[in-house]
Amino acid sequence: MSIALRRLACLLPLLVLGAGAAEAHPHVWITATSELLYAPDGSLTGVRHAWTFDDMFASYALQGIETKVKGAYSRDELGPLAQTNVESLKEFAYFTFARTAGKKEKFSEPVDYYLDYKNGELTLHFTLPLKNPLKTKQLSLEVFDPTFFVDFQLAKKDPVKLVGAPEGCRMSLERPSDGAANAQQLNEQTFQSGGVNANYGAMFANKITVDCP
Amino acid sequence: MRPFVLLARGLLGCAAAIAVIVVIDGALDVLMAQTPFGATRQNAEPQVGGLLGWLLARQSEFYREISATIRAAKSDGSAVWTLLAISFAYGIFHAAGPGHGKAVISSYLVANQETARRGIVLSFASALMQASVAVLVVGIGAWLLNVTAKTMCGAEKAIEIGSYALIAAFGARLVWTKGAGFIRALQATRPPAALAMATNVPLYRHHGHDHDHDNGHHGHRHPHGGDHVHDEHSGHSHGPEPAELAGPGGWRRGLAAIFAVGVRPCSGAILVLVFALAQGLFWAGIAATFVMGLGTAITVAIIAVLAVSAKDVARRLTSVSEGGGALFMHGIEFGAAGLVLLLGAGLLFGYVASERATCF
Repeated sequence: MSIALRRLACLLPLLVLGAGAAEAHPHVWITATSELLYAPDGSLTGVRHAWTFDDMFASYALQGIETKVKGAYSRDELGPLAQTNVESLKEFAYFTFARTAGKKEKFSEPVDYYLDYKNGELTLHFTLPLKNPLKTKQLSLEVFDPTFFVDFQLAKKDPVKLVGAPEGCRMSLERPSDGAANAQQLNEQTFQSGGVNANYGAMFANKITVDCP
Repeated sequence: MRPFVLLARGLLGCAAAIAVIVVIDGALDVLMAQTPFGATRQNAEPQVGGLLGWLLARQSEFYREISATIRAAKSDGSAVWTLLAISFAYGIFHAAGPGHGKAVISSYLVANQETARRGIVLSFASALMQASVAVLVVGIGAWLLNVTAKTMCGAEKAIEIGSYALIAAFGARLVWTKGAGFIRALQATRPPAALAMATNVPLYRHHGHDHDHDNGHHGHRHPHGGDHVHDEHSGHSHGPEPAELAGPGGWRRGLAAIFAVGVRPCSGAILVLVFALAQGLFWAGIAATFVMGLGTAITVAIIAVLAVSAKDVARRLTSVSEGGGALFMHGIEFGAAGLVLLLGAGLLFGYVASERATCF
């Protein structure tokens, strides 16, 4: 009995540490739509995102921005914020992870970025060019925040479009609510890096898969 | 005193129940993971399902309702009551989820021979401070100076790094003092007990300076500094007396703990405050922030009391065996001190990545 309780006492710090090392919960919600951009030769050149923020984060982001008309933000007035957004997103790899045949693909710095504010919704638009355009049969693209500070959800309607893709290319989606997808991603992520913490958000990833003939 | 004992007993009961649920939940997760395809999971990754997933889901729900309720409060004043209720619930669930604050406070309490009552006071004080800092950051930054989110988030980050550095420093200090106690306890167990008993004179010198033992070793203050920990005396084979538990200088260390943990505002509170300000209901945001802090404090206090009680149980059990008990308790204290240092360093150098403010 005494030994059991001693062990319990020893476990206590572990419990506390476990609690400390685990995850937070999201503070930002993003509704995402993405376009996969193809060149005329059929290679994938990049991804164009449109991310709409939740109203709480939108107020936060818009804090302190001077406008000519109160409550209306023009694209110019939002320019500096859009710049800040894309610059800061670099640290988080733009929350966009592309893979072909198990190999990670890299993105260059975003282009054509801007923010718009319509009907009380703030949306960030930007294009992520691939470093090397891809001609591939299978591609997977995940959009998520590994630390789960940001909760990404693909839009309900037409979340992903293939723009100029070769004929016969098929696209499929796995949303975070899809249990089977979670289990699979979990295993994959577990293999790729041993960090318990680092890939927590992977369970909430949105996975886009494109198969071309 | 008596109502306090009853309250403490009730809290302890709740905490024990929560602990049991956590353990059972974890065990079920492991068992379930093996059944469907007969294969074991590679790694004990945290699950979306289970208790943690449930906590996260509740938190997210409450948090998202906060913005809707603030909006509603613009036209309907009674929605403020709903806002306060949701904020309170959010605070409770938020703190029940993972976070470094309660880990630091619990470890500090265990390392430092603090009482459950002090644990409760520390929990409430640090939560109050956290809420106040959030209100100050938004009050000065957004309301008074009208700075942009970028500037405010930068300030938040600076405060955060400062807080983590403080926790690490605080942990290093604890390790230093507790390490000395642990090593002394280790040495104290080595000489044959019979010899020590026969001579009736301490075989070792206290922390590197001489002072006479004639006046007994309780309640006196050392001439130098007076800020060091008194429990080094428990290198003797008896356990520390209850009066010694909160040693002199304890409140100063307690304040350091409150400051280190409380100076970092919760990102959620900052967002709520800025949103409330934008809606022209800053006062409602402030009220929500403090109620959130109250909820957080309750959960942290429960966990802190659980930690202190577990240590008390361990002490009572081990005090039966002479010598080894003191060594064991010093070991636990040293371990808890090390935990504070590890957490502080981990947070500071980004290993606990999820607890970083994300600015973009």
